[in-house]
Amino acid sequence: MADETVLTPDLGFIKSLKGAGAETMKKCYQCATCSVICPLSPDDNPFPRKEMIMAQWGLKDDLANNPDIWLCHNCNDCSKYCPRGAGPGDVLSALRKIAIQENAFPKGLGKILGEPKMIWLALLIPAIIFMIAMKIKTGYFFQIPEGEVVFSKFFPISLVDTIFVPIALLVTISFVVSIGRFWKSLNKNPYKLMASGTILSGLIATIKEIVSHSKFDKCDANKDRVWAHRLVLFGFVGLFITTNWAVFNLYGLNWESPYPLNDPDAVAIFGSEAAAGLYRGVFKLTGNASAAILLIGSIMMFANRVKDKGFSSVSSSFDWTLAIMVFAVCVTGILSEVLRLANAASLAYPMYFAHLIVVFYIIAYLPFSKLAHMVYRTTAITYAKMANRDVV
Amino acid sequence: MSDDNKAILVVGGGISGITTAVEAAEAGYNTIIVERNPYLGGRVAQLNRYFPKLCPPYCGLEMNFRRIKTNPKITVYTMSELESVSGSEGNFTARIRKNPRLVNEKCTACDKCVEVCPVERPNEFNFGLDKTKAIYMPHEMSFPMRYVIDKNVCTGSSCAKCVEACKYNAIDLDMKTDSVEVNVGSIVFATGWNPYNAENMDNLGFGKIQNVVTNMMMERLSAPNGPTKGKILRPSDNKEVKNIAFVQCAGSRDENHLIHCSAICCMASLKQATYIREKAPDSNVSIYYIDLRAPGKYETFLKKVDEDENVKMIKGKVAKIEEDSATGDPVLTVEDVEGGGKIHQTVDMVVLATGMEPSLKAGAAPGVKVEENGFISLNGQSGGVYSTGVAKSPGDVTTSLQDATGAALKSIQSVVRR
Ligand SMILES: Cc1cc2nc3c(=O)[nH]c(=O)nc-3n(C[C@H](O)[C@H](O)[C@H](O)COP(=O)(O)OP(=O)(O)OC[C@H]3O[C@@H](n4cnc5c(N)ncnc54)[C@H](O)[C@@H]3O)c2cc1C
Ligand code: SF4
Ligand code: SF4
Ligand code: SF4
Ligand code: SF4
Repeated sequence: MADETVLTPDLGFIKSLKGAGAETMKKCYQCATCSVICPLSPDDNPFPRKEMIMAQWGLKDDLANNPDIWLCHNCNDCSKYCPRGAGPGDVLSALRKIAIQENAFPKGLGKILGEPKMIWLALLIPAIIFMIAMKIKTGYFFQIPEGEVVFSKFFPISLVDTIFVPIALLVTISFVVSIGRFWKSLNKNPYKLMASGTILSGLIATIKEIVSHSKFDKCDANKDRVWAHRLVLFGFVGLFITTNWAVFNLYGLNWESPYPLNDPDAVAIFGSEAAAGLYRGVFKLTGNASAAILLIGSIMMFANRVKDKGFSSVSSSFDWTLAIMVFAVCVTGILSEVLRLANAASLAYPMYFAHLIVVFYIIAYLPFSKLAHMVYRTTAITYAKMANRDVV
Repeated sequence: MSDDNKAILVVGGGISGITTAVEAAEAGYNTIIVERNPYLGGRVAQLNRYFPKLCPPYCGLEMNFRRIKTNPKITVYTMSELESVSGSEGNFTARIRKNPRLVNEKCTACDKCVEVCPVERPNEFNFGLDKTKAIYMPHEMSFPMRYVIDKNVCTGSSCAKCVEACKYNAIDLDMKTDSVEVNVGSIVFATGWNPYNAENMDNLGFGKIQNVVTNMMMERLSAPNGPTKGKILRPSDNKEVKNIAFVQCAGSRDENHLIHCSAICCMASLKQATYIREKAPDSNVSIYYIDLRAPGKYETFLKKVDEDENVKMIKGKVAKIEEDSATGDPVLTVEDVEGGGKIHQTVDMVVLATGMEPSLKAGAAPGVKVEENGFISLNGQSGGVYSTGVAKSPGDVTTSLQDATGAALKSIQSVVRR
């Protein structure tokens, strides 16, 4: 090699990596056991050995734009066999956290929200927004309405729309910007210029893989995580469908929660009350089943983190925050429904309020949280499939 | 230096223990060697040749055996173990258990008994690569040159065919376990090492793939007195080995296995590369390493081997070995750290450069403090108790010899100081 390469290690980066759960990385002595053990690592330029030395050298930019860290599914087989206890699986997981922060738009916000200390501020923001909105609409900051519990009396549907639709839009814009950047930098990596194939076919293959969890299933050291992850993913997808379905019910069918069967609009569309009842049943089943699946999945995720099996991953606060929030969204959602049916107004409304806050947290901070991995990972795997870096 | 000086007890009759005993005896002190095996020489006896000069191990051992035979100050107990130790520096009482050999000193090594014995056993001297009868000679150059019966497999007096066949009345099936008590001034532990159990590395296939062997098996496969008479034939089908790969640090420098560097396995693999290169001019050798350890004087040896075009040295640790079920060929996977990319190589045979695990890791001995990793540090022992050779720290024969001389001096001081 004639060219000289000047390395400028980013010391701050090395420090933040250690904070994110990668303090073991300095033990690595570059034996390459991990690259061979990893069931997902390609033959050409395999990972995670090279990421270990890049991390030791503090090559932040190269790492933040490295698709390989997203090909890893954190099974930790590599950590189990690593002769030095350098925890390559955990290091990659810490690198992913930093990659999210680095690529997130606006960048500063990603850094702030990545701080575990900031969680209270992050929860306070939606609480204030909601109360101001309620004050404007109903005249009260926080007023428990009389009579039968109907959540729209407390927090009108129109408020949900005026708050969450713009938020969803902002989140989308943020993702478009950061993924656009990410994609561009992926393609800049010198050794990966061989990208071929179309985005569409790559994306379809990626989605197939995500649905089947085929990559995740190759895990050995950490098998229990596969089901937990599968359930959480399916639970979220189910709830996403339910939410859009509810929007359709409201604006498409003009049928508003709690969906009375004698609603003239509904009867007009479905022909009879019985048919409307069947439709409502399927809709509600989808929602409740999704919530149940998410709950089970999040409990499993929790349990897995607690019973850390020695070689399985060191959970950083990043992972914990997510696990807690997913769990909280389930619990507050289910309790809201139960308390509403029980007509316990003084508990049901505050619970619903808490539920809205958690939902806001998950949606609004998506680009900066661990959940953003689904977007980055999908992008990176699509890229990898196009660049033939994928192990089948 | 009068004869009422207490004796020196040496536990372990490998090259380190022998050297300690001989050096101290030649300085005028009584020494006692307690060796568990039916023969002296330890692991060195199992080597084909030893570096750096590549001479057969018996060059060195034979000379020592002669010194033992001609020196009345040395007492040797083979098939024996230390049972208990009491007392302190200058005045220990040690009890030695002598397991029955069932063959006495009248044995002339005529081999008549072996011809009639109906029972076979795996030959542990050759790591199970061949078999011996229940009555057998431990190996060609055993010292003492006497047969032994493996009590665990011998069917005993109901058979007694060997007793009938022996013209010299050398076989005594009723020989009992015996014990002696000795009074000594110091004790030197020279208990050496065992090969690390390669089956513990489940990704390397040892025990499942026949043509994956350990470096000690490779010594036996190359030795003229070994199971293949020195032809390097692979276990599955006795095919002559032409393409061979060495996997360095197999179980050494590894938190999940042996944490220490075994110090000699890099040199051992370089040496074994010359075995195969000498036997088959068209052979190819690949050595996969993390970093090659050929300290000081061994560097020239490394350079010499490296000059051979048919020997490739590749940086990367082999982390997966699978078997081609049709041919029995092992297929190994490794990331070539310098070349970039994973290599999948198919070879005739793979040698795992397994490390040395201190003998006392498997179970402690009386009178000595063993560290958690199985080695015996000089620190923290009670006065008059020493360790030497690989029992103390991993090393080659030369280092062991130097260390053993030092141990002889220390043990003499304990006897005289008193
Ligand atoms: C594959 C390989 C190749 C090698 N090749 C070379 C080479 O070419 N050149 C070189 O210099 N070195 C070589 N070595 C290193 C060499 O084998 C050691 O340096 C040498 O064996 C050290 O001798 P020792 O006496 O300390 O231990 P050992 O040889 O292990 O002797 C210890 C003795 O103690 C006995 N013992 C153990 N426990 C007890 C007990 N509780 N009671 C009674 N007796 C006991 C054992 O039976 C044994 O006889 C090689 C090592 C390996 C693994
Ligand atoms: S992380 Fe562990 S297995 Fe991977 S190269 Fe480093 S020391 Fe080897
Ligand atoms: S954690 Fe699993 S997927 Fe990730 S690098 Fe290690 S072995 Fe590969
Ligand atoms: S008595 Fe034992 S050693 Fe002798 S011939 Fe019979 S089985 Fe073999
Ligand atoms: S001597 Fe070589 S092969 Fe043996 S443990 Fe040390 S580095 Fe590894």
